Amino acid sequence: MSGPNNPPSAAATARLSVAQGSSLKRSVQAAFDESSDPKKMPANSYTSKVRVLDKYKVIGFISSGTYGRVYKAVGLNGQSGEFAIKKFKPDKEGEMIQYTGISQSACREMALCSELSHPNVINLVEIILEDKCIFMVFEYAEHDLLQIIQHHTQPTRHPIPASAIKSILFQLLNGLYYLHSSWVLHRDLKPANIMVTSRGEVRIGDLGLARLFYKPLHSLFNGDKVVVTIWYRAPELLLGSKHYTPAVDLWAVGCIFAELLSLRPIFKGEEAKLDNKKTVPFQRSQMQKIVDVLGLPTVEKWPNLVHHVDYGNLGHLTPLGPRLPPSENGRCAGLEAWYWNTLRTSNYEANLNAGTPGPQGLDLLSKLLEWDPAKRLTAEDALQHPYFSANGDKVSANCFEGMSAQYPHRRVSQDDNDIRTSSLPGTKRNGLPDDTFAGRPTKRLKD
Amino acid sequence: MAADFWASTQRRYWQFSKEQLAELRDKLDNEDKTLVQQCPLPDRRLLSHFFNTQLVKLGKRMPIRQQAIATAQVYIRRFYIKVPIRQTNPYIVMATALYLACKMEESPQHIRVVVGEASAVWSGSEHLPTKPSFADQQDVIPLDVSKLGEFEFYLISEMNSQLIVHHPYRTLQELQSTLNLAPDEISLAWSVINDHYMTDLPLLNPPHVIAVSAIFLALTLKPTQGGLQATIATAAALSNTPQLSKNTSSADNRAPDMTSNKVQNFVAWLAEGEVDIKAVVDCSQEIISLYEVLEQYKETTCKEQIAACMKKRGLV
Ligand SMILES: Nc1ncnc2c1ncn2[C@@H]1O[C@H](COP(=O)(O)OP(=O)(O)OP(=O)(O)O)[C@@H](O)[C@H]1O
Ligand SMILES: [Mg+2]
Repeated sequence: MSGPNNPPSAAATARLSVAQGSSLKRSVQAAFDESSDPKKMPANSYTSKVRVLDKYKVIGFISSGTYGRVYKAVGLNGQSGEFAIKKFKPDKEGEMIQYTGISQSACREMALCSELSHPNVINLVEIILEDKCIFMVFEYAEHDLLQIIQHHTQPTRHPIPASAIKSILFQLLNGLYYLHSSWVLHRDLKPANIMVTSRGEVRIGDLGLARLFYKPLHSLFNGDKVVVTIWYRAPELLLGSKHYTPAVDLWAVGCIFAELLSLRPIFKGEEAKLDNKKTVPFQRSQMQKIVDVLGLPTVEKWPNLVHHVDYGNLGHLTPLGPRLPPSENGRCAGLEAWYWNTLRTSNYEANLNAGTPGPQGLDLLSKLLEWDPAKRLTAEDALQHPYFSANGDKVSANCFEGMSAQYPHRRVSQDDNDIRTSSLPGTKRNGLPDDTFAGRPTKRLKD
Repeated sequence: MAADFWASTQRRYWQFSKEQLAELRDKLDNEDKTLVQQCPLPDRRLLSHFFNTQLVKLGKRMPIRQQAIATAQVYIRRFYIKVPIRQTNPYIVMATALYLACKMEESPQHIRVVVGEASAVWSGSEHLPTKPSFADQQDVIPLDVSKLGEFEFYLISEMNSQLIVHHPYRTLQELQSTLNLAPDEISLAWSVINDHYMTDLPLLNPPHVIAVSAIFLALTLKPTQGGLQATIATAAALSNTPQLSKNTSSADNRAPDMTSNKVQNFVAWLAEGEVDIKAVVDCSQEIISLYEVLEQYKETTCKEQIAACMKKRGLV
């Protein structure tokens, strides 16, 4: 047992030789080496029993997120396979890296990922706490939905095959159903957080904002003020609801479904930033985008609407969307128009290989993008929707099944020179480092 | 009942038999036998009571929920089956466990607040005179932010990052209407649950068994009932003849008052076999003997023995 008084493990020495033998740029390696000199450890201190570099060889940098950076690694010592290692770094106090307490978000992610196990939820391999850093080791996923969507916009727009969308959606809902029946709200579903393995299996990732929602001991009001990236944020949250439910995740699934069809975010609003007064502003732009497609919500359809803090602000919105692309006959209203128009412009009918999501797709989409969270489809009900069973099709567990084209591998970079400065958890990210979709909004307040 | 518990890490990794627990602890004791002999510590339940009072004291200075205190106690108990208590400073363990538990129970406290309040509680008048800087003092808690932050790593690592704890409170609430429990019965059961964290029960039983035991005790220990002896008798009867108790519940017409009816309903419900009656009886007896042991509780003894132990180890 390596208590606080035990000397650091001799494995550290072995580890160094592994590191030196690699052909990596120093900088990537440095991300794992910082302050790891065991000699510097005071006698009475915490020493990890497992060292990340004894078990994994880092082969590159994938992405930086709100709380840290993600690296690609391969297993050592007989552990085969590829891994994604998410590294959380502590705050810096002056020059010294100090223990400052683990962020609540990291705690949640560690705890929830340790509990969960499902084929459509990203698989956590282990967590290593070493040298003031947390390393969460995940199975590696070659793709994510953001990257897949991007791929279909280049060099020219070509639709994601309808059968692939169906499989993706089914797997996504299946994973979400598991989360919700385990009392977990994801709260940050968006294409970048939904991974896809090279075998076409969808894995819900990034549980950094996930929370348990059973009540009444867990009130959901305290803590984070802003949740879910704005484009995927449910209308009840936009209108100031503090009482959110699993339905917020299903709204996001609706948005993702739409985005898979049109290859563009369906509601691409601009985030009204938190001002210094700390009051959450009304997200007017985002709400307008939704109204542009769905029209204004009504009390008849959504009785609880009047109880929302920002109900009054709805009056300031433009009822019908002049920005909506006009359909052939010049009409522009409603999700239905949006849907058929999207299928047409995305070439779903013209492109035989792509097939078509058909009228059932519209029905499912409209039930996911339902204003009233109480009426919105649950994950369980969505899985039963005829969209998945119509025409006697069976939904493949491999979303790439039957596809000839291959998606490019995840970009892994060796240029990680700014590792020491840019990965502090307090540094708010501006724009994703996976750059092509520059301008994707950020969210997350550090808690 | 609490469907999520069955797949949880709590059930898979943190539920033991009594024998397994004893074995784990023997192993820890054997790591340094002389130390164990030289540094006597109070009965584990008394020590747990001490931890409990200290956590409550600390918790009172911050807005903290009971559930966070419960989680902290479970963390401490888990930690001390992996690390010999005599090698640690229990005050740091307590402060860290509470800090982490607050985050997990969604009532996060800033680390500085926890450190500040812990220092205030434990270096205050009761233990030693307060001083703004306590590093040079013979304090029980030479605590600063980075020390607590570091200990958090240690604690999480010993628990294998398995931080979600399922508590009996939820089952209690779920059963409230099924068993038609009155507010005073609920609150009595609630405090029995609070108390069970001073025993090994959280490591021995699933939360719903504990909740049912707490309800059982609340119904039978109420002042209007026969008290302890009657409870034990009922318990014994139940554990031996669950079939019989089913009959009694319908045939017994001697006690027409409300509470007895409730007890009968409860017994009938138990007999439906949703919960392991034997486990409920064991739990109830464990809690009853906790109350007996606690009569010997002396805070100063705990404090002194812990202090002596830390001094010996140079942990102060
Ligand atoms: N298991 C994985 N395999 C491959 N790549 C991954 C994996 N997990 C995460 N990534 C990549 O790293 C990125 C960031 O990961 P993640 O979303 O978990 O981090 P974050 O810091 O919590 O997120 P955010 O970017 O939402 O702030 C992902 O968008 C994805 O590109
Ligand atoms: Mg992410």
